[in-house]
Amino acid sequence: MTAPAVSPARPAQGAPTRPQPTQAGPPATMDDAVAAYHEYVAERLTELRQHVLALRANVGNGDVDSAMQAWLDAQQAWQSVGAAYGSFGDLGSAIAPGSRGLEDGAANPDFTGLRRIEYGLWHGQGAGELIPVIDKLLTDVDALEAKLPETAVAPSDMPLRLHEILEDTQRDHLSGRGDQGSGLALALARADVDATQEVLDMLRGLLDNLKSGFPARLDGELAALRAAIDATQKDGAWTDYAKVALAERQAVNAALGRALESLSLVPPLFSTD
Amino acid sequence: MQLQRRSFLIGAGGAAASGLLSATAVRADDAPEASSDVVGFLGENQAGVYRPASQQQSACFAAFKVLSRDTAELKALLQKLTVKATILGGGHGAGDALPSSELSGVDGAPPVNSGVMGEDIAAANFTLTLGLAASLFDSPVFGLAAKKPKGLTDMKVFPKDQIEEEWTGGDLILQLCADSTDMVHYALRDIMKATRGQLQLQWKINGFHNRPRPDGAPRNLFGYKDGIVNPAQDEQLVWIRGGSGQPSWAEGGTFMVVRIIRMLVEFWDRVGLGEQDNMIGRHRASGAPLGKSKETDTPDYASDPHGETVPLNAHIRLANPRTQETSGSRMLRRGYNYELGVDLNGNMQAGLIFTSFQQNIQEQFEATQTRLANEPMTDYIEPFGGGYFFVVPGVQKDGGFLGEGLFA
Repeated sequence: MTAPAVSPARPAQGAPTRPQPTQAGPPATMDDAVAAYHEYVAERLTELRQHVLALRANVGNGDVDSAMQAWLDAQQAWQSVGAAYGSFGDLGSAIAPGSRGLEDGAANPDFTGLRRIEYGLWHGQGAGELIPVIDKLLTDVDALEAKLPETAVAPSDMPLRLHEILEDTQRDHLSGRGDQGSGLALALARADVDATQEVLDMLRGLLDNLKSGFPARLDGELAALRAAIDATQKDGAWTDYAKVALAERQAVNAALGRALESLSLVPPLFSTD
Repeated sequence: MQLQRRSFLIGAGGAAASGLLSATAVRADDAPEASSDVVGFLGENQAGVYRPASQQQSACFAAFKVLSRDTAELKALLQKLTVKATILGGGHGAGDALPSSELSGVDGAPPVNSGVMGEDIAAANFTLTLGLAASLFDSPVFGLAAKKPKGLTDMKVFPKDQIEEEWTGGDLILQLCADSTDMVHYALRDIMKATRGQLQLQWKINGFHNRPRPDGAPRNLFGYKDGIVNPAQDEQLVWIRGGSGQPSWAEGGTFMVVRIIRMLVEFWDRVGLGEQDNMIGRHRASGAPLGKSKETDTPDYASDPHGETVPLNAHIRLANPRTQETSGSRMLRRGYNYELGVDLNGNMQAGLIFTSFQQNIQEQFEATQTRLANEPMTDYIEPFGGGYFFVVPGVQKDGGFLGEGLFA
């Protein structure tokens, strides 16, 4: 099998388009925050579905470059949902499971979802192999969208999400262990930072009441992380993290580590134990 | 989902921890740790060089990139490291109060320590020794160029070196030593958590110091007693003193050389004992210089001008010819052995973390290394990493901090 001609780096993506705020200030209660999060997730899922439809068309046409871009758009949309640690249960897990725990890893026929499509696109697979996987993904996205109104996010889940989206970034993306061939960990990490910022914005008022000035400190640390990630771009394109110069990786790792130490205080701040 | 994950981890901790314990059973000859095993932090010079007199059993050499954005952040970082050195080196009981800088101020926050040492932390002769590399002084961010000690350069590459980039560099090194392996791990983890965002590991390597077999100096991985001859502190070959031409803030400091040297132990083990002895210049069993009977005996090179007893190119003879002219090139060696897994060829990756302390790298370490350039032992060793650092003076009174003289 011959791998498609892949440009060494994919085009960089800016921040996902953010919805217009539906209320003037940050949510005043946790119930409001959960409601805002639901609305936000619904919009991201709509975007995800559009990207997967584009992906299906590109794969069908044999347009590998466009398919890769559509995959990245879809994966970033999924990252921006902030679905850390399988927060949407089995429905969420079906959309982008990793290949851990599967015999033969990515080659296992049970491997599905966005990362399976990444594997195929970067390993020379075409429509015959990928269209069924994409159709299954569409079914799963539809199912999640349909169930979303009744998939209650527990109020206690929001602070954990604020902390742990970026734990996923460190564990899966920047470790290199989640990669299925694209080398686009930094693009995904960038989407994770934006998702964390979105959740922070939803919890801003509540968090500031619990620890005055803390959201502003997190803003600063997320901004530093965003800047360190963006500084790795070369001519507007993302570089495989393993090929990024050590000094630039150290800046990203340091900024992520600093942010995670602070974010780990969010769940206890909200805890009523 | 989230809460379950956390409680699962907590619940599984006991079983996982006991499994680990049984896998790394405590050595039977380990003496129990005494709460008195504390090396004082305060002093004209840092600990971990001449103190404690008996070199600790375990060490970690961790070189870091410094990401502080300005002089004020660097100063705060050095203050934080000083606090850590004091707390870790002093031992810490579960009920002892911690400085407020150590606490998050958030109820229910993750524990302030990892628990690896239990709740009552025995210092186990822990020492932290801080060294700064040339790159820190050269960085335009800190404006410390005028404070740079003379002779602090990048590590010189000698003719037989095979330097691997990922094992060099770093702006700052921490030499962490203790008489227990878990304390060394605990300390590094604790320090890194407290300095997240400011320090990023560049390379690190852990080492172990053998017990004497059967007595005298411990053996290295070639099976030879090593570190038999070390200059005493009053020979004044280590600490920077007034009138040395170094910046005055550096007095009480010393230069540290770290060289990570792979030892081709499989190859070595295929060499006859006589040839091994001739390469080293000592009898393997006793550690005595060839022709002598005790490890502490002094070789008599004057009556052996042609190397009939100790070959002229034997390691000990080249390293220390015991002449008036070479006497000043001696240095304090305080190395550790390491093991790092498997090389591509299936051999053990093992060797020596050579560590020396001296007043002048060029006149001591480099002069010695130059004499050793073509010793027969070079076929059995491959230096591949390390660096040169300046060990800042000690902290003499409470409230002071390591590197304070940089900001005076």
